[in-house]
This record gives sequence, C-alpha cells and structure tokens, in this order.
Amino acid sequence: MAIKIPTLPEQLPTTQPRFVGKEIKRVEDPGLVAGTAAFIDNLSLPGMLHCAILRSPHPHARVVKVDVRAAEALPGVFAVLTGEDVRRWANPAYTAPEGWGGYCIAVDKVRFVGEPVAAVAAVSRYVAEDALELIEVEYDVLKPVPTPAVAMAADAPILFEERGGNVIQSRVYNWGDVDRVFAEADHVVGNTFRWNRVGANPTETFGCICQWDTVDNALTCYGSYGTPRFWAMGRAMALNLPTNKVKVIPQPQGGAFGGKGGPRGTDIAALLSRKAGGRPVKYIEDRMEYLLAGFGQSWDRHYDAALAVKADGTVTGFRVRLIDDQGAGAEGWGTISVAKPLAAFTGSYRIEAARYDTVLVATNRAPTGPYRGYGPPPHFLVLESLMDMAARKLDMDPAELRRRNYIRPDQFPYTIPSGNEYDSGNYEAVLDKVLAMSDYRGLRESQARGRADGRLIGIGVVSTVEPGVFDWNAYATVGVQGIGVPEGAKVAFDMLGNLTVVVGFNLQGQGQFTVAAQVAADYWGLDVCAVKVASASTDIAPPSFGQGGSRLGVAITGAVLGACEKLKAVFCQVVAHLMQTTPEQVELMDGRLRLKANPQVGMSVAEVAGTMLGRSDLLPPGMEPSPEATFVWTAEGRTMPDDQGRCRSYLTGANATHVVMVEIDRDTGRTDILKYFIVDDCGTRLNLANVEGQLQGALAQGVGAALYEEYVYNDEGQPLVTTFVDYLIPTIHEVPMATKDFIITPSPVAPLGAKGCGEGAIHTTPAAVLCAINDALAPLGVEITETPASPHRLWKVLRQVAER
Amino acid sequence: MKPASFDYHAPPTLAEAVELMARLHEEGVDAKILAGGQSLMPMLAMRVARPEVLVDLGKIKSLDYIREESGAIAIGAMTSKRAAEASALIERQQPLFHAATKLVGHRQIRNRGSVGGSFAHADPASEYPAVALVLDIVFKAVGPEGERTIPAGDFFVTYMTTSLESTEVLTEVRLPVLPAGTGWAIQEFARRNGDLALAGVATTLKLAAGVCADVRLAAFGVNATAVRLTGAEEFLRGKRPDRAVLAQAAAMAANDLDEPMSCVHASADYRRHLIRVLAERCLLEAAARAI
Ligand SMILES: Cc1cc2nc3c(=O)[nH]c(=O)nc-3n(C[C@H](O)[C@H](O)[C@H](O)COP(=O)(O)OP(=O)(O)OC[C@H]3O[C@@H](n4cnc5c(N)ncnc54)[C@H](O)[C@@H]3O)c2cc1C
Repeated sequence: MAIKIPTLPEQLPTTQPRFVGKEIKRVEDPGLVAGTAAFIDNLSLPGMLHCAILRSPHPHARVVKVDVRAAEALPGVFAVLTGEDVRRWANPAYTAPEGWGGYCIAVDKVRFVGEPVAAVAAVSRYVAEDALELIEVEYDVLKPVPTPAVAMAADAPILFEERGGNVIQSRVYNWGDVDRVFAEADHVVGNTFRWNRVGANPTETFGCICQWDTVDNALTCYGSYGTPRFWAMGRAMALNLPTNKVKVIPQPQGGAFGGKGGPRGTDIAALLSRKAGGRPVKYIEDRMEYLLAGFGQSWDRHYDAALAVKADGTVTGFRVRLIDDQGAGAEGWGTISVAKPLAAFTGSYRIEAARYDTVLVATNRAPTGPYRGYGPPPHFLVLESLMDMAARKLDMDPAELRRRNYIRPDQFPYTIPSGNEYDSGNYEAVLDKVLAMSDYRGLRESQARGRADGRLIGIGVVSTVEPGVFDWNAYATVGVQGIGVPEGAKVAFDMLGNLTVVVGFNLQGQGQFTVAAQVAADYWGLDVCAVKVASASTDIAPPSFGQGGSRLGVAITGAVLGACEKLKAVFCQVVAHLMQTTPEQVELMDGRLRLKANPQVGMSVAEVAGTMLGRSDLLPPGMEPSPEATFVWTAEGRTMPDDQGRCRSYLTGANATHVVMVEIDRDTGRTDILKYFIVDDCGTRLNLANVEGQLQGALAQGVGAALYEEYVYNDEGQPLVTTFVDYLIPTIHEVPMATKDFIITPSPVAPLGAKGCGEGAIHTTPAAVLCAINDALAPLGVEITETPASPHRLWKVLRQVAER
Repeated sequence: MKPASFDYHAPPTLAEAVELMARLHEEGVDAKILAGGQSLMPMLAMRVARPEVLVDLGKIKSLDYIREESGAIAIGAMTSKRAAEASALIERQQPLFHAATKLVGHRQIRNRGSVGGSFAHADPASEYPAVALVLDIVFKAVGPEGERTIPAGDFFVTYMTTSLESTEVLTEVRLPVLPAGTGWAIQEFARRNGDLALAGVATTLKLAAGVCADVRLAAFGVNATAVRLTGAEEFLRGKRPDRAVLAQAAAMAANDLDEPMSCVHASADYRRHLIRVLAERCLLEAAARAI
C-alpha cells in the first residue's frame, strides 16, 4: 500500500497545527541546559580502561620498529596495540574511490603527522599517556609530499605505493556545449582561487567506549556517533565481524558539523578491548588530536575558473578546474566534497553549459573529512566571486546581474546542466526582500560617502542554492554506490495512550527530536511535551542514516508521518469495527477517530490504543494487538547517474541571498563586518527557532572560513596549527548577528513542503564576505582570491597599492 | 593530554610556601609555583612543563589585596585580574594599567588568572610587561634570603624568563599613581577579541608648556620580551606632539625594533609595520589625553 505523506502542514489531521511551523521550545534543551544529557565522557562502565594513542611526528616515514615492552611492563597497563596486531585483526579503511585508506594503526608506514602508530589501554588516561612515553618507535623518514604540485610531479615520492601514483582520481565532466558558449561569449571572466583548509570543530571531540565480547565475538560501541548504522557497517568491515555482531549505541553529541572522524579511534578502542580480554575501553579524543587528525580538516583547494558572459549580462557558461588536496588518502570521505557540487553546480542561475575538471590528489597532510556543506561552499565562493568580477567588467550592479540570470519561478522543476533537479524557488522575491530589508540603495550611498573620505567600504550581494536531502547517487562520481538513503521511525502508543517515537539516531544539536515530536504531536492532537522521542541502538533501530547531507529534518518528518499514516489506517479499522461501519467512514482529526458523517461520534486516540492492547476481544478478527507502526522514508524519483554524473540526487533546493557590508582598515588589513542581512527560502519552516539557529551558526562558520580559520602546513608537510591558540574560530565578538527574514516557497516533493536547511549560511557567507572585501578594494585596482582574507594577507595586497 | 604525575602542596601562609620552596630546592626537587593556572595548566597538560612538585599559592590570603600606599598602588601577587579590573582605585589612579588589564584574555581568564602570574610568566605577547616598562612598576619578591624589590627594567630577562630565583615568590606589584595630566594609551592588534597580541604598544606622554616633557613608549608581542622604544622617546622630547611629529616618532620606533618574531598569523615585516601603526595611534590618543 502506497503511503501518502502530507506535503503541506495544512494537510495534517488537525484544524490548526499547534507546533509545526512555530517557534516552539526544543524538547531536547532541558537536559542539555541542566547537564543531564549523557555525553560519552560522562559515561563509565565497570572495569573500564582508558586509551591513549601514540601519533606520528613525521608526515611521511617508514615504521621500522615499534618496541612496546617497557610500556607493557608499566603497572596499570592492560594492553598495547601496534601495527602488527592490526595487520592480523583488521582491514584498511574502505574508501571511495576504493583503495586509498590506511589501517587504524600505521602498518609499515605513516602518511601524516598525527597518524596513530601504537595505542595503550590502562587504568587511567594518565597512566596510558605515561605508557606512551615508554614506547620506542624507529622511523625511516621519507621525503614528504606537502602539496598537490609536489604530489603530481614526475619524481614525486608516492604515499600509497601499490597505487603507483598520488592522483586519487582525475575526471572531466562536460555538460552542454562548453567550448561553443565560451567561444561565443562577449566576455570571459576568469581567475584563480585558493581556498585553504578549514573544517568542522564541534564543542565535543570524538569519544567512544568499545567492548569486545570475547565469547560471542561481537562488538558494542557507545559513542558520539552521528550516523550509527553507517558506523556499525564500517566497523564490521574494518574489524572482520558480521555486520549484525556490531552494535552501536549513539550517545547525545556536542555537535559534529561533519567532523568527528572516529573510525580509527573506535577501531583502536575495540581492538584494545579485544586484547585486554574484553574489558571496555574508553577513548576520548583530545582537542590536539582532533585538530591534528580528527577529520576536522576539509576543502584544501586550488581553483582556476571562468564565466562566459554576454554583453547584456547573460551568463552562458561556467568552467572550473579544481585541484583538491585530499591529504593522506581518502579515509575521511573528503572525496565526496568534490562530487557534491554537481548537485548545485550553477548555483541560482540559468547557465547553459558547464565543465568541471577535477583532480583529487593525495599528499602528506591529514586526510580530509566532511564539513558542513560538504563541498559547495568553496565552489560558490568561486562562482559568486566571478559573478562580481563580471558585474564590474560590465559596470553593472552585482544584484542586477544576479537578477538577470536567476532561474525564474515558472521554470521549476528546473534541471541544471550537471543533472540535478531543483524542486521550487522564487529567487527574485528573496533578492527583493533582502535588498529592501538592507536598504541596499542606502548602503551604496553610504559606501560612496565613505569612499570619498578614503575609507575602504565594500558590499557583497550573494545568492546560493543549498542542496537538501542528499542521496548516495550525488556522490557516484567518486565511486559511492547505491540510491535511496533510508530514515526510519516507529510511532508507538502504550495502553494509556502515551506516544513514543523511536528513531535511529541521537541528539547532535540541530533539534531533530523536537521536529519529530512536533510532527507527531500535531498529527495525533497531543502536546509536544507528551511525546517521548527515544533513540535506539543499531541492533534494534529501523533502517536509518542519521544526521548528514542537510537531510535529517526533512527525512525524519517523512518517516514519522509515514508511520503515523500507517497507524491511522489501523486505528480507522479498529474504530470502524467497533462502530460497525467501514474504515473509509472514519477519520482522524484533532486527536479523535470520528465518523465523517457524524463527527460528534468518535473515540480518542488513547481509547483506541487502550482497546487494542487491553481488549483483544473487541478487535477485528485477525488483527494484531499492536498500536505501533514503523515507516522508512526515502526520497522518491532519484535516478542512476549517466556517464557525466548527471542524475536527480538532492531532493530540495533552498535558496538564500546575503547582503553584507564590510570595512577594511587600510593600515592593518583588518576586516570588520559592519552589517549583515539574510533572506532565505527553505520552504516550510518546521520550527522557526531551529532554522534561525542553523542559519546563525552556519554564518559563524562562514565568517570563520572567510576571515579567520586555516590549517597551515609548512613546506615539509608539518602542521603549524595544532591548538585553538592558532586555529581561530570566531567568537561572539567577531560574528555579527544577522538581520534575518524569509519567504516560503514550499517544496512540492518533500514532507510538509520543508527543504533541507541544516547546512545553511555556510554556502553563502564566505562568498558574501569575500565579495564585499573585493568590492571595497575595487577602487584601488587590487583583489584577494585566497581565503581566509586574514589581515596579514590583506596587508600584503594593500602594500601592492602603496608600492605602485 | 594529561599532566605527568606530580606532588601537590597548598601552604596556607607565605612563610610556609617560601620555606617549602627552599627545602625542595635543597633536595634537588623540581618545584613550580601554581597561581591561577591559566598558563601553567595547559603547559602541564601538554607535558611541556613537568615539575615534580606544584606549590599552589591559592590558599595564601595575605597575597590578595589592592591598596594605596604613599603615592603607589600595591597589588598582592595573587589578586585576580578581574579584581584589578573591578577596582575603582586602579581605574582612577592608574588608568593605563586598568586598560591593559581589560585587554588580557577573556573575563573567565581574568577571573582565575592572577596579576602576579602574568608578570612571572613573562609572555612576550602579554600587555603587562610593556606597561611595567612604561610605568616603572616595582616588584617585591620573597625568597629564603628574605624580601627584595626589583625594578621593571631588571625584571624581564628574555622569552618567558624573569630575574626571579626559582625559590622566590613574587608577592607584590607596585604601580605608581599616574600623575594628573599625563596622557596614556595602550593599543594592540590581535586576530580576535581576547587573543594574545600579534603586536601592541603602551605609552605615557607628559606635556610641559605644550611640548613633550617625558614620553614612555614600549612594544609587546614582537620581541622576546616587551621593549622600551627609547629612540622615539628621546626624539619626542621637547617637540610639539602634532600629527607629523608623532608619525615620525612611530616610524622611528618601528625601525629601531630588533627583528620581530614571526608566526602563522604575522610575519616579522608585518609585525614591524603594525608597531608603526599602533605607535602612531597610541601617541595620538595619549597626546589627546595629556594636558
Ligand atoms: C585563552 C587565554 C587567553 C589569554 N590571553 C592573554 C592576554 O591577552 N594577555 C596576557 O597577558 N595573558 C593572556 N593569557 C594568560 C593569562 O593571563 C594567565 O593568567 C597569566 O599568564 C598567568 O597567570 P596565572 O595566575 O594564571 O599563573 P599560572 O598559570 O598559575 O602561572 C604562570 C607562571 O608564573 C609562575 N608564577 C605564578 N605566580 C607566581 C608568583 N607569585 N611567584 C613566582 N612565580 C609565579 C608559575 O610558576 C608559572 O610558571 C591568556 C590565557 C588564556 C588561557
């Protein structure tokens, strides 16, 4: 039976939704505020040991010898794990493309600073770290590969010898007649861009407690796991266990943002537990470990890109060459960041043809991981910067150039050259609203006055599309298989009519428990606080992916609604049987199952549930006494990619335009953000506060990428940024609170019309800030195309003017 | 990131602390004083400092005070920076020290971190040592041989090193009251609010009959210790502090610097340039305040 999921809040079985679309308080917050949420480091198990990991100080070296005898002899030490154990018990990380992963502990060689070379389980973390100091490692230092240029040189040292070279993948995609549109263009606006490494930095680093069941040969992992099923499968493959013998129990997490690369940490703790006879082993990654090797590094990119533009401002072509420094292999899934821009390659615009020429390169930097946005944020920095350069060339207002090229409202659903289909949107309405809200004309006037006084004031107007609700096919170009990411939920009433929603993930900060509770509460006419949302471990949860890909808010809404619809059908049968009518005559409204013809007559949901569990004699013959239903949602209509990677992948396309005004201090190169405005459209806003939180938080990360954050490596491949003294996450002092507004263009294809919006402003902010900086610099005839636009970098740019 | 093991003592009186430090020294035990822990604790956690014994001054109430004494402000070494920030006496009588205090880290750090600890730690990027040079702050220390006073000019030796003996406890920081009419300013350049400065300048400027009578100028964040910029100071003596003159002094100050340090956030050149910009801005600000 096909389940029909409501695509608008008005279709919910309630006269007026009380929670969906409202700014309600989040159900998860009391525990977070009061400190009762069970974060992994608050947990301890009987007999638990603590793990510490010895890490490589070299970017590239052969491991000649690891002597752990003294460490093993230290009182309090229970197990020491080395590459030898791992070679016997484990497999290298599975990667896409295949064959670019290391073992959890270095076997034979190390490929980045911070790569684990041995690990200890001891009675305390203190003793474990003491033991690390007793381990002697003999390295044969190899020539490092610090950059893609070195990696691709003919005589380059090779990271993965069995691969024969350092290029992980090199592919060119052509969508449309790119050469023709560039040949026929009136202007070709091109530039190079350097996006330096940044990445996710959740408040909580990765942590886990792993216990190896030596009798059943099975593994249980408690931890800060965001996508538990995925983790369980990965651990089974890495540790040679059947997938049903790995149980992952996700604890609430202090954020993730794509980071938290704990596969190695989990595998190490698991094998230590195995070696220590099955005692549980806790591993809490510390901040230095996280910054060095925690998959918190992403997007290390060298771009060369151009737009084909007609004299009237019509953009007809976009070509991009990207050399992406993946770091030491692909174990962190950083490759996906190169594939994902296909889902929104041409941004908000009608661009006829595009080319994407990609080279993914392995170097001796830390392996890259996912980061909020997973690739498009740097891509949009390039596209939007080129749009501004085109506007300057044509002497057009940048807002008007964008308006001229937007996909128009009547063109949706709209297929972009790279193959994805955008569901809906009204980009011009978003632009108009933000221009009015910011008094754009007034901003330009005050910029002109400032310029007359010699001040460097700039304005950025940037529009982007956020692909929402990912599917695997979006990443097919780097070798990811499959279509249909599942998200399941069970809705279950007990005998007294209390409702539990069971999901396969735990808290991570975005507020999905609240979303699940809101939807279920409005569906059944309950109070949102009366709905219990429970997180199930992987052995009992319905198929689920969890957080990621700007997807879970929409997907869990679909899952909960699907389960509710299934259960409603059962309830209608029960009530029809009791009232001696047919199920078609019964409807659910405001928490009552009632007769359509005579709405006064009906039963409350609690009465129906109680009858089902307490009076089987009253049920229709053959009916199970189970007021529960499970539904697994996935987006419909996803397609297999063609040979150019084209497919329908991400389900929704949210859109935003940011207007930002900055001032650069001419003497020091420091940029201050003076004003910030956002108007966005993510369809139905399931919870206003949740969306606002996602936007403001992503704005902060965007400001970080544009102005502050950078993982710096020296010419030898040594990381120079290993603490928060140098990795500069902007604080409340540096991040402006944006003035925000929105419009609502519901998605015609997503549950309740809601679009993925969890990645939000990070798509737009880096481009908006950089465009504003270059707008400020424009009268001086200089520009900056490297991020972050730090004071030091801007000072060097400004010095070019002084020296002229 | 856990400290190597150490023994811990928290003597209740200064006398006991000094005696303990002396005894440990005689026994050849590597002991270190713990004040607010805002610098020492991370160093312990990263095992870059690994003393065998920590002597915590936190229980010694007699080291926590701010009082006016014969034209000076005496601050006990264990007084928190937050207390210094909240002190109306300091704000009124020694506004430069007060302004410097507000630039140190964040409120949480000022709450735990002691005034004495910042001087003893002698971080080259810290505001306090530069202020000490500008104001001629005097330090009191107590060791096995008793108490001695150390003028600021003799206190800072090099990178994170002072002239305190390893057995000595810094007990008091004495600030002169700022004479009425003296202009002052402190400015720094940091990547984010509360970060240690990449470069900074502190100054006092006294006028007599409209010309500079006494200018004190010091830079921090650029060399191994805070440095007095005496060339610029002397250049300004007897000159009218107009824009051009102050700019010239600032350029001189920057040129005179020893090769500045360099890090991922700022090269030596950039630091030198920042000192010129900040010195000019500071001198202008101080001149505007001076009467
Ligand atoms: C995030 C952050 C930002 C910061 N920003 C700044 C900043 O902008 N500017 C700045 O100046 N500092 C900054 N700091 C450092 C901070 O000010 C420290 O508090 C200060 O350096 C040390 O003071 P403490 O009381 O914490 O000393 P501790 O950390 O306890 O000790 C520091 C050193 O001084 C010695 N010591 C302490 N007291 C005495 C004493 N009475 N006698 C002899 N030796 C003693 C200790 O043995 C140790 O070697 C920052 C720190 C953090 C964590």
